[in-house]
Amino acid sequence: MIMQNISELEEKSAYIIRETKEKFENVAALWSGGKDSTAMIMIARRAFLGKVPFPVIHIDNGIDFPETYKFRDDLAKKWNLNLIVAKSRIKPELSGFSCCGSNKTDALKEVMKEHGFDALIVSIRRDEHGIRAKERYFSPRDTEFKWNYKDQPAELWNNYSSKMDTKGHVRVHPILDWNEIDIWQYTLKMKVPVNPLYYSSNGYRYRSLGCTHCTVPVKSNARSVKQIMDELKVTETEERAGREQDKEKAYVMEKLRALGYM
Amino acid sequence: MDIKRVTLLGNKDHGKSTLIGSLLIATKSATKQRIDEAKKVSMKLGRDFEPGFILDSFEEEREGGLTIDTTRAQITYRDAAFEFIDVPGHEELIGNMISGASYGDFAVLMVSAKGGEGVTEQTRRHLVLAKLLGIRRVVVAVNKMDMVAYKKERFEAIVESVQEFCMNVGFEPGSVVFVPVSAYNADNLVKRSMHIRWYRGKPLMELIYEAASARKKGNRGLRLLFQGTIKSGRKTLYTGKIVNGRLRRGQRILVMPLGKNAVVSSLYVKGKEIGSASEGNNVALEMPGTHATRGCIGFEPESNPRCGTVFEAMVFSVGRIPKKVQLRMNGSEFMADVSVFGEIDLKSGKIKEANSIKPLGTGKAKIRLSRSVVIESAAECPEMGRFLLYDSGKFAGIGVIG
Repeated sequence: MIMQNISELEEKSAYIIRETKEKFENVAALWSGGKDSTAMIMIARRAFLGKVPFPVIHIDNGIDFPETYKFRDDLAKKWNLNLIVAKSRIKPELSGFSCCGSNKTDALKEVMKEHGFDALIVSIRRDEHGIRAKERYFSPRDTEFKWNYKDQPAELWNNYSSKMDTKGHVRVHPILDWNEIDIWQYTLKMKVPVNPLYYSSNGYRYRSLGCTHCTVPVKSNARSVKQIMDELKVTETEERAGREQDKEKAYVMEKLRALGYM
Repeated sequence: MDIKRVTLLGNKDHGKSTLIGSLLIATKSATKQRIDEAKKVSMKLGRDFEPGFILDSFEEEREGGLTIDTTRAQITYRDAAFEFIDVPGHEELIGNMISGASYGDFAVLMVSAKGGEGVTEQTRRHLVLAKLLGIRRVVVAVNKMDMVAYKKERFEAIVESVQEFCMNVGFEPGSVVFVPVSAYNADNLVKRSMHIRWYRGKPLMELIYEAASARKKGNRGLRLLFQGTIKSGRKTLYTGKIVNGRLRRGQRILVMPLGKNAVVSSLYVKGKEIGSASEGNNVALEMPGTHATRGCIGFEPESNPRCGTVFEAMVFSVGRIPKKVQLRMNGSEFMADVSVFGEIDLKSGKIKEANSIKPLGTGKAKIRLSRSVVIESAAECPEMGRFLLYDSGKFAGIGVIG
């Protein structure tokens, strides 16, 4: 896994986040309590001189890890975040694809509608998944949240889509260019707080965090960010290997995303 | 590690995705899991292993055997890291292609040597676009050499045809180099191939390494693009991005097109107050007494930027560009009148007189804007003289001043 120049990456992300605030009236960000969205919030704090200028939404399906709830509440207080918790209703008969497709996405649709957000910052990265690699920094969604990947807007020379370009909302992806290891590099350098689930306990750690039903840990002895980075430099597996919903059938990520998933 | 961006151009089916897949494997840059997954899908579709599937991950892309949208793959070679940007070669996906190609510093052009493929109109169109997008060096990989029995004559015919076209389009002599390869068999990708002994030059990755190491030229004067404002406590600060040069606290700058001098009284980068900032930094600053708005540009006071409403530009047209369009440049939007006076002939690469540009064509036009703007050619400062055109909100083309 290639380590990039995090100083340059942060500049690009900061530009995109500021651009979002300039061009949209009602911006929100998704925050899962995971490493990526937490690093993104750190970038935003620095770009806006200490205060995150938009609310952060946690899609809470009630079955997240206890560590995640504690991490969320502690950090929201410490960083003075405007936290919106969007509760989704878990249907016990669903799992994997249908669970992510219905519960998480429905809860997101409801909270977007309730608050009338016109831009949603989502901390996905290109190296997570082949499909996410196809994204734009600013990606318009229609009112049904659908992603039309064949007809994506041209995006070049610092010119991005604005809200005039869609009747729905625009998804904004400020950390699209970051690799998994870059997030850890940044976390280390900036002392970004870390959800303890990422550290090894009894020989296992979580590499990617979802909810308790569908996330399984990977073998690891890493007990610090430094050790996590050392393991990643030589890994032969993909980051989302522990996410069950990705594996059920081929192209599941493509289908989830077309329905409005993150 | 700094990543060098490589744009991959060429006609559909000339092997762009296969090349990146093969390079990912040959340089050990893809995880075993990703390669295994591509192998499994190839088998399921009842075909030989297709390295391109490491890149093309949409269902439609794999079953249809084409790339729909741009993808990136990172490859390490020697002491450097390269990000390959794969773009669709299909005409109708040109909007996606432009978005991918605009990030590259230089390009690799794939031309298939296979009978019936060779240098096509789309190959030449991509070269014209590359020039317009500011790509100055091109490495031409003449692909599928295995399918023409590695014949030298076939390679040389393609070299001659591409070389001549490139000169007419305006690439500098020596800025376009050629290598015969087979992306599928990994011939001449990382190591010299035993199948092509008549070729005495370097393998593809080495040529890419050299093209990437060539130094950028350009002026070093300050160009600060004003983005907007942010609030911090009771203060309002201007935000902006330095796209060229340096900026110091206490420095006097000239804000155009306002034509006003102002002093930068405080300067912040990444949340901290600092004494000086440079190219690439997103800054926040205070500048008492001047009201800069989005789209304004900061210069050194002694520089003498040209402002106006009329300029000449090279324009690429997605469909037909109407006389009246919206033009987006440096974060601002204008109404613009476009009058075309020339078009590039895609057979020769030369400009001929014309009063309109065909769909997917490139030409020269005089552009008149609704209000005054800084006019600086992209050749002088690439970040400045570039714009996008929209027709009733729909992407219609791109252009560069000069």
